[in-house]
This record gives sequence, C-alpha cells and structure tokens, in this order.
Amino acid sequence: MVSRYCPTTLAEALAVRNEEKVVPFGGGTDLMISPKEGVTYLFVHRIAEMKKIYEDDEYIRIGASCTFTEVQFTPLVPKMMRDAISEIAAPAIRNAGTMGGNIGNGSAKADSVLVEYTMGAKLRLASVDGERIIPIEQFYKGRKELDLHDNELIVEILLPKTGTDNYFYQKVGARKALAISRIAFGGIIQMDGNIIKDISVAFGAVANTVLRYREIEKMLIGKTLEEAHALRPTFVKAYDDAMQLTRGRVSAEYRKTVCMNLLNAFLDDKGI
Amino acid sequence: MSIKFTLNFKEVEYTGDPAARLLDVLRNEYKLTGVKCGCKEGECGACAIILDGELVNSCMIAMGRVEGSEVMTIEGYATTKRFEVVSQAYADVSAVQCGFCIPGMVLATEAILAHHPHPTEEDIRYGIAGNICRCTGYNAIVKAIGLAAKAGEGLW
Repeated sequence: MVSRYCPTTLAEALAVRNEEKVVPFGGGTDLMISPKEGVTYLFVHRIAEMKKIYEDDEYIRIGASCTFTEVQFTPLVPKMMRDAISEIAAPAIRNAGTMGGNIGNGSAKADSVLVEYTMGAKLRLASVDGERIIPIEQFYKGRKELDLHDNELIVEILLPKTGTDNYFYQKVGARKALAISRIAFGGIIQMDGNIIKDISVAFGAVANTVLRYREIEKMLIGKTLEEAHALRPTFVKAYDDAMQLTRGRVSAEYRKTVCMNLLNAFLDDKGI
Repeated sequence: MSIKFTLNFKEVEYTGDPAARLLDVLRNEYKLTGVKCGCKEGECGACAIILDGELVNSCMIAMGRVEGSEVMTIEGYATTKRFEVVSQAYADVSAVQCGFCIPGMVLATEAILAHHPHPTEEDIRYGIAGNICRCTGYNAIVKAIGLAAKAGEGLW
C-alpha cells in the first residue's frame, strides 16, 4: 500500500497537511543538509497537479514539485528563469531541487525567487479551506518567515506570459558551479517604442528577503530613454539610500558596492 | 510505512524510517558500498546515483522520495554494456587516481552521455560540475568521457 505520506493527488496531500504536523519534502536539497530529529515529511513529488508546466489565459504556471532541470529545459518557461536556473548548483542538485522547495526554504539567496520578484510572480497556495493567490513579495515577510499557513502547500508559481524578454541577470558567487549567491541581480525593462513602459529591479542574497523597491522604479516608468538617462544619478542614489545592508557571509560594504555595480551594468546594458 | 522501489533492476521493499537518508540505507542496509559518502550536503557528488534516469546525490534524498522510483547505483550500472565502455575509457587515459570520486563520476558520465551522445567539452564540464575530485584529475576525466562517447558510438 502506498503511504499517506507519498500522496498522488493534491486533495490527499492537503488532508494530511491539515491533520498532522508535516514538513513538505520537494527535492530535499535544503532539508537534508541538517535534518531534524523525528520529523515527518510529506513527499510531494508524485502529486500530478504539482508537476505540470503549462499556460492559461493569464499566466505561465509552474508546478511547485517541478525540478529545476524540468524547468530549465521547458521552452515555455521565460528565458530569464531558465538562465538563472542553469547557474544553480550542479546537475545532480538541479535534478532533485524543486521550484516550490526553493521558495518554501525561505532564503533570500534562492536564485529562482530573485527571478520571481523581478517578474512580479504570484504563488498559488492551497489548503483544505480553499485556495489563494498572492504576489511573491507579500509571501516573504522576513528571513524564514513566510505567509504560509500550517495547513497550506505551495502548489504553483505563476509567471507573466509577456514582458520578461528584455532582462539582465547576474549571479556573483565564489565559483561557477556549486556556489551559493553572494549577490544576485535581476532587472527587466519593457519598452513601448522609446518609452519605458515598465522597469523592475531586484537584489538577492543581500538582506532577509529579496529586495525590490517599486516606488523607486516608478521614477523611470513613462519616461523616454533620454529622460531616464538624465534621471539616472537620482535613480541610482535612491537605491543607494534605500538599501541599508548588513554583514552576511560577506561585508556590508562589499554587498553594497556589488549591488550598485550591477544596477549600473543593467542601466548601461539597456541604454539608460 | 513500507516503501517499494526498484533497486538495481530488482523490486525491493524498505520498511524503515521514511526520513532516513537514501545514502545511509544503500550503504548500511543494502551493502552497496560503491556509493561513497563524502560530505552529506550535496557538495561533492561522491554519493551520486541515478534516480528515474537522472543523476542525483543520494545524501539529499529521504527514503520516502524513492517510493515508486527506479534507483541505480554504480553496482547496478556495472552490469551494463555502457559501463564496460566507460570503465575502459577511464582506464585507457588513467583517469582514476585515489578512486573515491569515481563511482559518482562514472554515473555523471552516464548522465552526460544519455543527454549528449556526442558531448562537447563544455557539455562534459557542465555535466561533472557537481562531482569533486580532490586528486584534481579533471582533465583526464574529461578526456575519458570524450573517449567513452566515441568508443561507445551507438550505445547512447
């Protein structure tokens, strides 16, 4: 008999999640580093609803149990996400680690989460009480603090279908492979002729959560590239003022300097 | 809880703790000591196995995760024709030094060739990026993988 802890449908999984204290187990690549004594895992790798990648009218939907490798090699997934994933860890980790796990682990160093912030992704959460869809920025309340109820599961990641092609992504790590991000940067710009229709900028691995400042972004929205260029010093200074970084694995000064360098590289790249 | 899976082409049933590490279970219960324990944190690749056709680190897998899956360790792979070719290629270029990383490295080789029967050097280096050889014999290993692809033409 197949155990209730390896369910094959979402309904079964949510029932177990509602009745018992269980830790959802995606690929295990974070959980197994320091496993907790006496933990009960809920294995979510066989749940069909959480293994699909497809699009509907509104979104490109990625099941939370999809592995990084599955996402990396699915052309439907926006290129920025596939690029970022191709630099995560190494093949054996990407074959096991999952999209939902990267989010649920709650780290600001999660490279796929940085891309989700930059794209303005949403999460579909479910429990026996029903479902809700929330923006990724609201889901992260602090370091390892998530807006996830005890009986909920992360079911899908919802990415925008358009507007993410003109991006800039850079990860700074100690090595090419198997390197946790020291700083990760994502930027997307959407042009409407010579007008900046939308711009988004996010910084990963430098604070308790990924950082994105929508108020600062507004400064450039609706501007021409020339106008944006004239505003560039003010724009960069706004980030410099807003980002009060502390020391992590690297010093606060290093973090700040690299963040500003990457922001400038993004603006250079996009002709601002 | 009983966990049924295929281990080296045979159906098995495991009745221990579903949270136990696959690496420990393979070595201690099934005596498959070709699976090496290097770091227990997914950083070295010495414990790599093939799970449902893909390379994974067995230290990162809890037993519940293998329910309904196919697990192949170096012991199972060693019974295949592909292994013979890979093994010969490693021998031909003296790619093995202390040997500790080799079971994982050989299974990474299988994973590379399964996806890229005619790999470029970049494909090879990307494919073994998670397998650390502390004798640092990478160039010979890269060469061996290229040689295996040629010698085993048609097998992958």
